[in-house]
Amino acid sequence: QEFQFGPCRVEGVVLQKLWQAFWAMKDIVQAQDNIMSVRLLRKEVLQNVSETESCHLIRALLRFYVNTVFKNYHDKAVEFGILKPFSTLANNFFVLVSKLQASQEKMFSTRKSARRRFLLFYQAFKQLDREAAVTKAFGEMDILLSWMEKFYQL
Amino acid sequence: HITEDTSDLLQHVKFQSSNFENILTWDGRPESAPDTVYSVQYKTYGEEEWLEKEGCQRITQKSCNLTMETSNLTELYYARVTATDGAGRSATKMTNRFSSLQHTSIKPPDVTCIPKVRSIQMIVHPTYTPIRAQNGHQLTLENIFQDLLYHLKLRINHTYQMHLEGKQREFEFVGLTPDTEFLGTIMICIPNLFKESAPYRCRVKTLPDRTWT
Repeated sequence: QEFQFGPCRVEGVVLQKLWQAFWAMKDIVQAQDNIMSVRLLRKEVLQNVSETESCHLIRALLRFYVNTVFKNYHDKAVEFGILKPFSTLANNFFVLVSKLQASQEKMFSTRKSARRRFLLFYQAFKQLDREAAVTKAFGEMDILLSWMEKFYQL
Repeated sequence: HITEDTSDLLQHVKFQSSNFENILTWDGRPESAPDTVYSVQYKTYGEEEWLEKEGCQRITQKSCNLTMETSNLTELYYARVTATDGAGRSATKMTNRFSSLQHTSIKPPDVTCIPKVRSIQMIVHPTYTPIRAQNGHQLTLENIFQDLLYHLKLRINHTYQMHLEGKQREFEFVGLTPDTEFLGTIMICIPNLFKESAPYRCRVKTLPDRTWT
């Protein structure tokens, strides 16, 4: 089992575990997101991503989730009693980021288009109130996992 | 001003999804007056408007088929129901965020079990869904779930079972005793999303061996 984002290969992260962790808190987390008319991970961010672009994009998204979303959602995870699944996801995302870091140096060409896609996501995030944006991004992890699944080989 | 509690008018608004047939269901008051009517709206997550579901406005039954309205696999949806009773009291309740990919359950496959003298062949037929590709073709479960596979078991006796598994659609259990009854069970498995169908069962008897008669 491994993720293959273009030339970037990552072993040791089991997709089913990520799904299991997210489903354990999905309804609690998504119920906190009242802004139903805004979607951060829109089609323009994730659709028709080329293989070579995918490594750049997933690295930028995962780094943002680790450094911003998980960091700022931790207290809520404690408050809602979902710390265990929260930690499972955070730890696995951290592993993914660190392993993607190592393999990323060989690739330059598609960085710009991946950057544009990430900025679409980031700008939508910035337009919301900080707490609402973190809650929304956390609740959209199933969209991210569904996209990541395309790059997962059993 | 005392706002009247109308939450009893409406409960458990949720999607029930099976092979991507997405039905919105809800409960009313146990002894709800027959003149209570329900109206359904739905919304794509990330878009502004709530849309009225034609055919489910001011209805009395407690379900509404939203399969066509929620058929884009890359989208997530919400639905909500407004109940209004004869006295003009009303209540509105909404579903959780719905993703048919994550929520749909899988029905048993359709299988043809063909007995031979010393083997049983099992042919799994494709399962078509209401989901259509951009070119209008109806998608099968195999098209939608890349990691889909079939899991087959043949009970030989009380203690022994044969197992086969794979993505292909034709399987054959071999080395069996002629003129003997066997129970076969076949399931669809989608490992990544922990989905597993209920089993399809077939009871089959191998043919008698007439070579020496």
